[in-house]
Amino acid sequence: MIGRVGRPPTRLRRFGATWGRFAVGQVGRALGAWGACLFAGLTLLAQSGVQPAALRPLGNSWPMYNGDYSGRRYSALTAIDTSNVSSLAQAWVFRPDAGTAPAGGGGSTSVLIKGTPVVVNGVLYVTIPDHVWAVDARTGRQIWHSTWPSKGGWHIANRGVAVLGNTVYVETPDCHLVALNIADGREKWRTEICDLEQFYYASAAPLIVGNHVITGVSGDDLDIPGYVEAHDPETGTRQWRWYTYPEPGTPEAKTWPNAEAAAHGGGMTWGSSTYDPELNLLYLGTGNPQPVINGRKRQGDNLFTESIVALNPDTGKLVWYFQPSPHDTHDWDATQTPVLIDGEIDGKPRKLLAQASRNGWFFVLDRTSGRNILSKEYVRTNWTKGLDRKGQPIPDPAKEPQTDGALVSPNQGGGQNWPPPSFSPRTGLFYANATRAFSVYYLYQNENDEKPQGWGGNDRGGWSEAMLQAIDYRTGAIAWSHKWADSPSVRSGLLSTAGNVLFAGDASSNFVAFDAAKGVPLWHERLHTSITNGPMTYSLENVQYVVVGAGDRLYAFSLKP
Amino acid sequence: MQNEKPSTGRARRRGNASAFCILHLAFCITVVSGTTALLAQAGPYERQRIDETAATRGRALYAQHCINCHGSTAKGSDRGPDLIRSAVVLRDRLGQGIGPAIAPSATHQAKLTGAQIIDLSHFLHQRVESIASNRNARAPIDVLTGDLEAGRAYFNGMGTCSTCHSTTGDLAGISTRISDPVVLQQRWLFPTLRRSGPREVEVVASGTRAAGALVRLDDFSVTLRDGSGEEQSFTRGPGVIVTVKDPLAAHHALLDRHTDDDMHNVTTFLWTLK
Repeated sequence: MIGRVGRPPTRLRRFGATWGRFAVGQVGRALGAWGACLFAGLTLLAQSGVQPAALRPLGNSWPMYNGDYSGRRYSALTAIDTSNVSSLAQAWVFRPDAGTAPAGGGGSTSVLIKGTPVVVNGVLYVTIPDHVWAVDARTGRQIWHSTWPSKGGWHIANRGVAVLGNTVYVETPDCHLVALNIADGREKWRTEICDLEQFYYASAAPLIVGNHVITGVSGDDLDIPGYVEAHDPETGTRQWRWYTYPEPGTPEAKTWPNAEAAAHGGGMTWGSSTYDPELNLLYLGTGNPQPVINGRKRQGDNLFTESIVALNPDTGKLVWYFQPSPHDTHDWDATQTPVLIDGEIDGKPRKLLAQASRNGWFFVLDRTSGRNILSKEYVRTNWTKGLDRKGQPIPDPAKEPQTDGALVSPNQGGGQNWPPPSFSPRTGLFYANATRAFSVYYLYQNENDEKPQGWGGNDRGGWSEAMLQAIDYRTGAIAWSHKWADSPSVRSGLLSTAGNVLFAGDASSNFVAFDAAKGVPLWHERLHTSITNGPMTYSLENVQYVVVGAGDRLYAFSLKP
Repeated sequence: MQNEKPSTGRARRRGNASAFCILHLAFCITVVSGTTALLAQAGPYERQRIDETAATRGRALYAQHCINCHGSTAKGSDRGPDLIRSAVVLRDRLGQGIGPAIAPSATHQAKLTGAQIIDLSHFLHQRVESIASNRNARAPIDVLTGDLEAGRAYFNGMGTCSTCHSTTGDLAGISTRISDPVVLQQRWLFPTLRRSGPREVEVVASGTRAAGALVRLDDFSVTLRDGSGEEQSFTRGPGVIVTVKDPLAAHHALLDRHTDDDMHNVTTFLWTLK
C-alpha cells in the first residue's frame, strides 16, 4: 500500500516489534492459537500446545475478524451487563476520511464500513476496500491511514484485517494480499491471490492459523472456480491452494456432468473461516455454483459448492464436507460463519459446528467428522422436499427458477447473509439476525442454450420481514424471536457477552442491547444510519468498549463514569 | 454471490454502472492519446470498451473463420475451446492477445489483417460482456402460461382476491395500465404502499388516543400524521399500545398460500382485464 497518513507512535513500534519477533518466529501448527498470547500472555502460549486457547471466551482484545477462532463472537467481558447496559453512552466516533484517492477505476470513494475492526495492543484496525486505518482504541484518534492504488475489481466490501506480530494483512478488490507494517501502515510486500482478468476479486478478512495466512476469493460474473489459499506470513509465498471442486475420478466428481463444468463451477470463499486448534481443522463455507441461476446443464449436487468444509490448514487437504444446499440455483452461498460450539448433545460433551445458512436452514454438525446432528429451518422456507440421509435439504425442482417464474422463500438475500451471527455459551443460544422473504425466480429463455454461462436468470421483487432469532443449538427450536418493527431486512451482525447482553442493529438506525436469555431490549441508541457491520468489544484500563460501524462511521460506547 | 455477495444483484449492478461510466470517460481520454496507456493497464475496470461497429465486423469474421470449431456462441465445440472462458481472450486488449494466438498455423489457417484482429477482439469481448452481465433480462419474460379460468376461480375463491378487489372496479383495464405481463405479476404479488396509500396507526397512551397516517415506526418510537396534518411522535413502552392497519397485510399472508400454478393462473386471468 502507499499513501500513508499520520505518524507512527513509538508505543506501537515497541509492541509490534516485540510481539512480532516472538510470534512469527515460533508459532507453528501446534501453536496455531496465536490469539492465545493476547489473552493470557506468553506463558500460556508456551504451554498451550494443542490447547484450544483461542476457543476460550474473548478477553481484552479482539484480535481477528470473529474475535476468536470459534466464530462465536462471544466476549468474556462482564463490565457491561444487563443491570447497567442502560447507562451506555457514546465514548467516541471515528469518521474515516478516504481522501481523494479514487475507487477502483476512478471516481471517489464512499466509506461504508462492512468489516469488523480488529483490536490488538490498544490499537483498532478498520477497513473499507483499498483502505486501512489504525485508530487509538481509547479515543478514536487516527494513527495512520494506508491506501491502495486499485486496478479495479468489485468494491463491494472489505471484511477486515488479520494481524500477526508486527504485520497487518488485508485483501484488495484487485486480487492482492498485502502485508503492512503494523507501526505505520507501510507496505511490506504484496502478492496476487487471484486473477482480475477472469473477474475475480477479493474482499474476505484473512485468517492467521499457525504459520499460514488463509485467504479467500470472490467473483461470480463468469464461471470461474473458487479456492482457498495459505500464504507464508513473512514472505507472502503461496503454501497451498485448495479448489472448491473435486478431483476428477473421485466419487464427488460424479456430482457434476463433466470435468469442465466442475472446473468452472464457482464456489467462492468470501465468508469467514473458523479453526479448532485441538483438531487442527480449518472450517469454511463455500459460495454458489456457476452458472448461478441456470443449473440445467450442471445436474447433480455440484460439490463442493455451498458446502461446509473442514481442511487441514497445513496441507490444504479436505478432511470432510457437508452440503447445506445441494445443486443450488438461488445464489444461496453457504458462506455464513461455521460457528464452533463445545456443547452437549444427549448429555454427552460434543465438539460441534453450527451454521444458520443463507438458504434458511440451521445445521449442527459434529466438527470432528462432519456428520449431521440437526437440520432445521430457522425461518420458514418453501424450497425443499425434506432431508436426505446425510441431513442435507433436498431441493424441490419445481422451486428452481422457471421461465415464467417460481415463487420462492427465502429470496436471493437469504435467511441470513454475510452479517455475522453469535453464539453465547452462557445461554446456549445461537443468534441470527434473520430475514423471511419471498421473491420470484426467473430463468431467462434466451440464456437457456446448450451451454449456459454466467447467471442466466435472476430473482425479482418481493416482500420480507426481519427478526432476531435465538436458536437452541441442541434442538433447533426458536427459544425467542424479536420481530423488528417495520424492518424489511437487516444488515447488522451480532455480539453476545458474558454480561448476558446481546448487541444487534435494526433497519431503523438503532443499535440495541438485549437481555440475551430473554430477548428483551434493555438499551438502544439511534445512530445516523443503520448498522452495516458486526459489533465487537474490548477492554482497556478496565473500561469495556463496544464498537459498531454504521455507514461511514465507527461508534464506540462505554458505561458512563 | 456476495450479497452484496455479500450484496444483492441490484446493488452490484449500480456499482457496475457507475464504474462503467467512469471507465467510459477514462477510455475516451485514453484513446485520444493512443492505446499504449490502455494496454499497459489491466483489470475489469480497464477492460476493453466495445466498439459496436467493429464488433459487427468481427462477428462476420467469426462466422467466416471461427464458428466451425468454436461454436455459434463462442462457447466451444468438440473441435475448439470455449472462447468466453479463454484466459487469452480475457487478457486480450484490442487484439494484442488474440493476434499471436491466431497467427496462421495448423489450427488457424485464416490470415487476418491487424484491423481484422481488432474487429474480432471487439466481437469476442462483446460476447464476454454479454455473459458477464446476463443476470439482467434482455428479452421479454413470458409469464402468461397459466389457465385463465383457473385464475378466475382462484381470484374469486381460494385466493380471496375478490373480497377486496373488483375486476370491473379497481382492476378494470389493469393490463392496459401495466404494459408488461411480468410487471403485472410482480405487482399483484408484491404490491407497494406507494400505490395502496399509507398505513393507518392508532396510538393509545395514558388514556389518550391519537390516530393518523403512519410516518415512521420502530421498536422504540412511532410517528403519525393526524387529520390536521400535524406530526405526532410517541415513545413506545409499557402502557403504550400501537396498532397498525396495513392494507397489504392480506397480500403478505397469501404468499404462503399461493402455488406457482395459482401465480401463473391469476396473472393470465388479470392480463385479460383490458
